[in-house]
Amino acid sequence: MNQLLQVKNLKTGFRKENGMQNVVHGISFHVNKGEIVGIVGESGCGKSVTSLSIMRLLHDTPGEIVDGSVMFKGEDLTALSERQMKKYRGNELSMIFQEPMTSLNPVLKIGRQLRETIQLHLNMSKKEAHQHAISMLKSVGIPRAEDVMNDYPHQLSGGMRQRVMIAIAISCNPSLLIADEPTTALDVTIQAQILSVLKDVQKQNEMGILMITHDLGVVAEVCDRVVVMYAGRIVESATVEELFAAPKHPYTKGLIASVPKIGQGINRLYSIPGTVPSPSNMPTGCKFAPRCSQVMEICKIKEPELIQMKEHDCRCWLYQEKEQEVEHIEKGSSARG
Amino acid sequence: MKKEVLLEVKDVKKVFPLSTSWFAEKKYVRAVDGVSFTINKGETFGLVGESGCGKSTTGRLVNGLIKVDEGEVNYKGNDLANISEKEWKKYRKPMQMIFQDPYASLSPRMKIKDILMEPLTIHFPKMSSSEKQSIVKELLGKCGISEYHLEKYPHEFSGGQRQRIGIARSLILKPELIIADEPVSALDVSIQSQILNLMKDLQEEYELTYLFISHDLSVVEHISDRVGVMYLGSLVEVASKQAIFKEPKHPYTKALLSSIPQPDPKVKREQIVLQGDIPSASNPPAGCKFHTRCPLAMDICKKEVAQLQQVAEDQQVACHLY
Repeated sequence: MNQLLQVKNLKTGFRKENGMQNVVHGISFHVNKGEIVGIVGESGCGKSVTSLSIMRLLHDTPGEIVDGSVMFKGEDLTALSERQMKKYRGNELSMIFQEPMTSLNPVLKIGRQLRETIQLHLNMSKKEAHQHAISMLKSVGIPRAEDVMNDYPHQLSGGMRQRVMIAIAISCNPSLLIADEPTTALDVTIQAQILSVLKDVQKQNEMGILMITHDLGVVAEVCDRVVVMYAGRIVESATVEELFAAPKHPYTKGLIASVPKIGQGINRLYSIPGTVPSPSNMPTGCKFAPRCSQVMEICKIKEPELIQMKEHDCRCWLYQEKEQEVEHIEKGSSARG
Repeated sequence: MKKEVLLEVKDVKKVFPLSTSWFAEKKYVRAVDGVSFTINKGETFGLVGESGCGKSTTGRLVNGLIKVDEGEVNYKGNDLANISEKEWKKYRKPMQMIFQDPYASLSPRMKIKDILMEPLTIHFPKMSSSEKQSIVKELLGKCGISEYHLEKYPHEFSGGQRQRIGIARSLILKPELIIADEPVSALDVSIQSQILNLMKDLQEEYELTYLFISHDLSVVEHISDRVGVMYLGSLVEVASKQAIFKEPKHPYTKALLSSIPQPDPKVKREQIVLQGDIPSASNPPAGCKFHTRCPLAMDICKKEVAQLQQVAEDQQVACHLY
């Protein structure tokens, strides 16, 4: 197995007046080499906190990793010192953010911002770094790259800025790129450009990408595997084809059904009733139970485990019970035998 | 059956000055550059386009939040383009607006009850308080918010609930035309579908006409009867929903449709990835504004502006190809 990143039982919380409040509750997933894995969920489900935890970028917020490990190429990132972590960040591990407007420094020229990363990690001279930066800008499809090197961020459009962000992120040839809603702030025609750039650089460099998004369309377009999160937990994970063809968890089913599709021609959309519970007021039992259409008695009392079924994991009592029944029967028959 | 035209927008133009220094040459943005369309009573007209194309400005020109520079806005046969602020008051009641940001469009210092009763106080100064309350309660219930929330402040609600309150506010005066400017863009998908369903239900119940402004083509396809596609201040295609989504004619509409990521990995379609960025509205290209990015641009496109013309029943396109 070419496992690049393995997140195991990650728990992240925020410090509140009355102690820690967990936002991510023990999630586990992995990203293989050259694979695009998507994390989908609605706002507040913990998907961005997960990405910040992997990058160890939570220290400016009152958040911290409470438990679990993040194995990257056999090294546990959670155990590294800040100094060691800096060697990974921007080099082996890279990240692009949602807002291309705010994630570039407005008072530095594009060229300087690109060179900064390159010189820091690749041990190049200023001249070499300059050449490398230009080739990076060209690889993400920026016309007149030499001129853009001398521009300030405000002189570029949103799509161009996001291309610059991608150029910076891939300039040290990272093996893992975390993209946190990379196209959410962009128009659809520009989004299509950026997604195709991302797919191209991913193929060229055999990068693994962890794509964080709320847009199921983007997921279907670019990802190989998907992890669906709800209220800080993974509720389902499967390959893209499997997830869209045969979603198992009622939340995933509802999510897919609530997106309007062109040419579908239905009068009413399916909608999940209610809203996402707030972290301070979580229901006991399954966190989705109050909104679920197939809720049972047990869902309100006990939270189901994430059960593994042939490359398709699901956290729901509907499937749990079947498993347990099977176990029961097996136990019964072995006892009799 | 002849459809009754409720709103007719004729060649409307709006130019905003760019603030530059005293000595510099004055620059202008042609935000809306000759837009014409009609909306029939009881239908939903979707206005789509990318950011900066002038779709929100068009919405605001229609209900008089911004003054029209040139052209006509006919509402039930009355031209509203050049009437005074005082005369406008008459038309505020039948024309209401739903805004994009449910966090910014409700006053944080007012209780829900007061937010919803304010329009009644202004337009019906003689109405008694209990009468107002009963209207508010009924509408709030229709929009899916229970009565006991009346004494609460906006910050106590989630985004979806706030948008429901915004919708209830727009309905208080029993309007005929509602201009909805990106009403679901700020919401999560599961909430978005709740709001879209609510808007459809209310349309049926109160016989509403919607001008639905959005950048999201899938949402527009779901809710609209007719659709107008805007690019840099001009309409490039106006047609029935069926025509636009089954047989788009303008190259921009085609590219826009093919760019939407479909939530189905099995759908493999030919994607037209447009080259280049949207030109700035302060310095639009000459001729057809789309020619700089158009895969099918011809010589004539660089010189002459294409006018909207009828190419099929209920389908108008502004392109030299037709």
